[in-house]
Amino acid sequence: MADSAVLQPGFQQPGWQVDRFIVSTALMGFALLGGLIWLETAPFMVALFVIGTVLGMALYHGAFGFTAGWRNLVVKKRGASMRAQLLLFALSSLIMVPMLHSGQAGLVGAVAPVGTSLVVGSFIFGIGMQLGGGCGSGTLFTVGAGNIRMVVTLVFFIAGAVLGSIHLPWWLDQPGFDPVPLVNSFGVSGAILVQFAGLGLIAWWVNRIERKAHGTIERDELLWKGQGHGLFRTLLSGRWPFTWAILILAAGNALTLAIGGAPWSITFAFNVWGAKALEVVGVNMSQFEFWTWDYPAMALKDSVLTNIPSVMNFGLLLGAMLAAGLANRFNEASRNRPEGRQFLAAVVGGLLLGYGARLGFGCNIGALFSGIASASLHAWVWFACAFVGSLIGIRLRPWFRLPD
Amino acid sequence: MERAYSRTRILVTLGIILTLIMADHLRSPTFAFNSGQGNVETALMQRDETACAPCGAPCPSTRD
Repeated sequence: MADSAVLQPGFQQPGWQVDRFIVSTALMGFALLGGLIWLETAPFMVALFVIGTVLGMALYHGAFGFTAGWRNLVVKKRGASMRAQLLLFALSSLIMVPMLHSGQAGLVGAVAPVGTSLVVGSFIFGIGMQLGGGCGSGTLFTVGAGNIRMVVTLVFFIAGAVLGSIHLPWWLDQPGFDPVPLVNSFGVSGAILVQFAGLGLIAWWVNRIERKAHGTIERDELLWKGQGHGLFRTLLSGRWPFTWAILILAAGNALTLAIGGAPWSITFAFNVWGAKALEVVGVNMSQFEFWTWDYPAMALKDSVLTNIPSVMNFGLLLGAMLAAGLANRFNEASRNRPEGRQFLAAVVGGLLLGYGARLGFGCNIGALFSGIASASLHAWVWFACAFVGSLIGIRLRPWFRLPD
Repeated sequence: MERAYSRTRILVTLGIILTLIMADHLRSPTFAFNSGQGNVETALMQRDETACAPCGAPCPSTRD
């Protein structure tokens, strides 16, 4: 018997079914964890938990996957998803660069060194995106929506991240230089304009590819209206037009900066979770240099409920679960269990994602999205190297029997 | 439509995750502090503003 049921009066609309078990389980998890965070930490952590939940819903309902967007451009020569990402970066840059340089104390941007570690890490991450089936945010929101293959990817993402944390000090000793905030060279307005020019150039290149292949350009990224189900139903059950997801993701990252003091990041939490698991089985993580640095040492020592990326990730998982329940699509992608080479792709992809994210100072969210929103040069290097890695990953997909 | 998942498995998985979070929290300095113990160093605002990257990595120029 199906778990889904037609919504009760008040919510009932023809043909709209929700998975009541998943929705109520997600809401219960949200209430339990939210209550615990409220009792044990501070109100701002609850706010960040809620933001994480909304971001999870936006990623799921907006189908805002970086990985598939890049692959669509390369394989199908369609650029709507890629242009949506560029619009998101532009909007966030417009909002967050002035915020970071407003003189308000306690705000730190997502800036990072530029060097061997970044180039190698982001390149590896790009390969991992296509084999693992998602990036940092993509892996989390699909796990929240019940995708079993992505659970395998996430487990090995965590393993790879811990391994990367152990090796990162060695990589940092290879050629490289300190962070390059574009604001230092161009000022706030200049940095935003330079980034707009860069994003515009990429959009022009994307359009050129699409037009050459299809003769026209699909402007899905500019649609404001859902697919004929009405505002309320579309808001709750999806699918959202890209514009809605862009606005929510940009607002969410800006609020994360305003409330948490730093832009949105995801993969650092994977490091913490993996390191805590190793400590439980007796590994002394402080023997590794990475875990002696102030921030990782603090995060490892204290509760995950005091670690912002962890708290937001918990919210994101529950938000995606809630959204999948409202869309009656929870676990839908897992009807065929990963076996053989597809399973191997999740393992290898996850390891590459984790290792690459640590060396590259984050994933598509922490390094790319938040990096561009902080006008940091490293984000642009990350973008280019991860895209090249992604091209190789796309070429490898057929061997792993992964569909395009 | 046939259900694509087991309810029990979902509840058990979420229960395990919540238990792990609780276990981690109960042995943390924050819980000790909230329980009235003094002399514990908590890290609610975990950040190192002198770091060179969001993960807390130092700047290449500061490394020997």
